[in-house]
Amino acid sequence: MTSHELSALTGAYALDALDEAERAAFEAHLATCADCAAEVRSLRAAAGELSRTSIATAPEQLRGDVLGAIGSIRPLPPSADNVVSVRGHDARRWLWQTVAAACLVLTAAAGVWGYQQHQDANRSHARTVAITSVLDSRDAAFVTGAVATGRARIVYSKAEHRLVLIGQNIPQPARGKTYQLWMIDPAGHATSSGMFTPDGGGNVLVLASGDLAGVARMGISIEPAGGSRQPTPGSIIAEMPI
Amino acid sequence: MDNVRFLRTSSGDGEPCDDLAAQLPKLLAGSARGDQHAFAKLYDLTSARVYGMVLRVVRDRAQAAEVTQDVYLQVWRESARFDPAVGTAVAWLLMIAHRRAVDRVRSAQSATRREDRYATTQSERPYDQVAEAAHANLDAQRVRRVLEELTDIQRQALQLAYFGGYTHREVADLLHIPVGTAKTRIRDGLIRLRDTLGVNDDQS
Repeated sequence: MTSHELSALTGAYALDALDEAERAAFEAHLATCADCAAEVRSLRAAAGELSRTSIATAPEQLRGDVLGAIGSIRPLPPSADNVVSVRGHDARRWLWQTVAAACLVLTAAAGVWGYQQHQDANRSHARTVAITSVLDSRDAAFVTGAVATGRARIVYSKAEHRLVLIGQNIPQPARGKTYQLWMIDPAGHATSSGMFTPDGGGNVLVLASGDLAGVARMGISIEPAGGSRQPTPGSIIAEMPI
Repeated sequence: MDNVRFLRTSSGDGEPCDDLAAQLPKLLAGSARGDQHAFAKLYDLTSARVYGMVLRVVRDRAQAAEVTQDVYLQVWRESARFDPAVGTAVAWLLMIAHRRAVDRVRSAQSATRREDRYATTQSERPYDQVAEAAHANLDAQRVRRVLEELTDIQRQALQLAYFGGYTHREVADLLHIPVGTAKTRIRDGLIRLRDTLGVNDDQS
């Protein structure tokens, strides 16, 4: 889906009228589109008004059941930080939906684009298994950052020596250029994690391996097609501390 | 604390007696600190709205009670995670409830079965059997009046999506309109509802 098509889904999203993959794709888009977020907020308030037409007294017993149950449940603490542990169920579920949406988009694109992508799809099972190992690892964490007009999220596991880059709305690089992902140590030395280009919808899904133990941050640069051994000076457009 | 600014969060259209918007954030903050009395008050203020909506979506009293219980336990657990930047406390609560209700009907039965069931149970209208406080009825009438002003397609699309729990693609099939049209009618209908009711989601 293009970002224009996604923006038209605000109403359906506010009514929970999207299927799981659409919802995940839309939520990824929401993170990058302030106008959409504002519209969703107001439309969700409007949707809530509909419930004024369906008021019904809850069974008496329900009150006792609910108030009896909360005694044994501890309210969660507030959460707000950049590097987020992925152990929490909700965060993990969100990541899965995002990855599912990214895979879905890439698979759909493969259906249209032909043989090379078809070969990629054949390898997708192994890739899915590897992505699973990152998301399911005990130390999985993620960081987010802006990449040109889009956004990227890197999920990484230092124990698994793997990371997954998920990008949305990433613009196509100029002709003859490619994006390159780097692991950068505290001294500034960079090691390539591979090159990528977004699909027609600006989606990116990259799986990379490497020893992340000594890595201070991940970088994304724009390089000549074929990639570079070291980032071209001034070419890094995004950095995310891990 | 933060709650003071919510005191101004009533809609500016002369809505009668609705202090829910003012009270709910305070009660949520209390719940986050483990105050069970605050949570009981929150339940008493909102349960008819939550249970009634869930019942309308799942169409079964036992299941509606189950889903409603899950909703309130989630609200208790996540009370500290309520983020005013994402909307009002009422909208947050109803969003959790609606998602759970919709998840229940989507996992419970196939779309075709629900389609039959929706057609046969349209006339049940559980809300008509319940006498509620006068101001709740006034609010309901106000919303129904706005719904009547929408085009038939807009109104049906909103109701099928919100109370039927159908996806926008299913709504398109049910109404025999293109998917793009369903998407647009849902959005236009909600915008009309928002603007006519003067829904105020502004927190500042």
